[in-house]
Amino acid sequence: MKHLIGLVGTNSSQSTNRKLLQFIQSHFAEEATMELMEIKDFPVFNKPTDSPLPPVIQEAADRIEQADGVIISTPEYDHAIPASLINALNWLSYDIYPFVDKPVMITGASYGTLGSSRAQAQLRQILDSPELKARIMPSSEFLLSHSLQAFDEENRLKDASQIEKLTGLFADFLIFVDLVNQLVQAHDSNVKAAENFSWETI
Amino acid sequence: MKLIGIVGSNADISYNRYLLNFIKRHYSGLFDLDVVEIKDIPMFNQDDDQTNSYPIQQLNQKIMAADGVIIATPEHNHTIPASLKSVLEWLSFKIHPLENKPVMIVGASYYDQGSSRAQLHLRQILYAPGVNAIVMPGNEFLLGRVKQAFDEEYNLTDQNTVDFLQTVLEKFLSFVRLVNRLEAPVEEPLPEEDLHASQPIDTTIEGVDMAAEDWVEQAAEKVNAVEGDTYVKLNRGILTVDQINTFLSSMPMELTYADENNQFLYYNYTTEAEDMLADRVPGQVGNPLVLCHPESALKNVGWVIQQLRSGRQDVVRVHVPTHGPDKFVVHNYQAMHDAEGNYKGINEYILDFKPIVDWYLKQTGLKLDGDIDAASGASQKEEETVDAGSGASVKS
Repeated sequence: MKHLIGLVGTNSSQSTNRKLLQFIQSHFAEEATMELMEIKDFPVFNKPTDSPLPPVIQEAADRIEQADGVIISTPEYDHAIPASLINALNWLSYDIYPFVDKPVMITGASYGTLGSSRAQAQLRQILDSPELKARIMPSSEFLLSHSLQAFDEENRLKDASQIEKLTGLFADFLIFVDLVNQLVQAHDSNVKAAENFSWETI
Repeated sequence: MKLIGIVGSNADISYNRYLLNFIKRHYSGLFDLDVVEIKDIPMFNQDDDQTNSYPIQQLNQKIMAADGVIIATPEHNHTIPASLKSVLEWLSFKIHPLENKPVMIVGASYYDQGSSRAQLHLRQILYAPGVNAIVMPGNEFLLGRVKQAFDEEYNLTDQNTVDFLQTVLEKFLSFVRLVNRLEAPVEEPLPEEDLHASQPIDTTIEGVDMAAEDWVEQAAEKVNAVEGDTYVKLNRGILTVDQINTFLSSMPMELTYADENNQFLYYNYTTEAEDMLADRVPGQVGNPLVLCHPESALKNVGWVIQQLRSGRQDVVRVHVPTHGPDKFVVHNYQAMHDAEGNYKGINEYILDFKPIVDWYLKQTGLKLDGDIDAASGASQKEEETVDAGSGASVKS
């Protein structure tokens, strides 16, 4: 069975994105195992010059490294992903490369109508940067709008059509993971590009 | 103009910091730039509101006090740094200092791209409703390959880049002025002035035709007005009515009193209309202002009184150039107020400034700059901007 990471894209204790990932975790427990990853204890990234990686970052990187794929669920703050998620991705591409060629699916939940659409579009661009270079599942937008009203008391999605959509996307994502594992031709050069990428020298 | 420059990175070494410091130094003739750092600002977390912490409040105050903001952003992972995003989240959570603030984006990066993607993301972020900044369109300034861009003193080495940056900054200054005008509160329209003087006040003498040639005589009889050698106690002094007249007649100017009901009540009558700077005749006194001016001037008269009554202006001065180059005649419309500050009408004093200027030049030995005659030089300018006066004192 495949093992996934559900990356909670915010440091907030109240988050419908966390709820969404928890729902995915339990609803698809038969199909894959998933562990949630929190980012709120990541220190503020400031391009440290020589200090070793903080243990919390190294540990997160190792977990991603070992997982078959990552589902990132992001809220939208000011038309973009939250600073805390940018911060996490900065760390996770700073002389370590756990995301290179890692299959990633993006979901997002927002209180309003747009369901984090702009944040998701930016997140795609960010994950495509040379030092992250994730394999992002194409054509798979999952936007959960009005997320405060979207869950019942047992934290299940209320809307059957949303569940149906998510079921399809999740099944596709498991196939996408297999597909990506076949996309090995560019892997070496991707790794090399990420390793050669330096935050200071080019 | 006062701008603040936000270093969009919390890193110890930042070429964006060098860039802002260069802008501050090199273009100091154009504006004052206060370069501010964000590294003391904590990571945004909505569970732990630190809006009132010193670093956030300090930045908040600086942004609010500035005319405009320049943000210099690096690019990390194809977007702006987490530290800059965090600042913008704080500044759109409980407080909104960037709302309607003119913002310019610049960016420096190690690569050819020069932070192009980060700048686009930043633009999108600044447009978000909680931030609501007004970002200057176009005029991107991308500084790529920063390691080669600066000399040892952190000056930009490429003259074309320096020149281009200057044109972008100059455009930003115009943009700031434009936006700040756009955002200025719209002045409420003032109520129309009743030039017919049809709203009597406490002192209005009723029951006498305001238009009558002998309004003064009729009104005086009505209220038993004192005259001649009767003493009148003033706010600091006692004079007879004759003494008051002598005193006012000796004023080196033509004085006119119109009350807050826009009724013409008095002028210091010393000479006949044809010898006056602004002709008045004894029969005019008592008239509502609508009768003291030609139709074409009424709009301007109303405007002047609106300014004075509302307090938007305390005095409106109008140069009337029709007296030739030997005179510089100015109609001064001075608002009058009582001890409580209530508007009480207009003191219009008309005088020729030319003798005063001439006397001043003679006493000081100074000359007017550029050998321009004081009167004609200034009058051309005045004529273009003001045209309230010419009609203001022409009798009906």
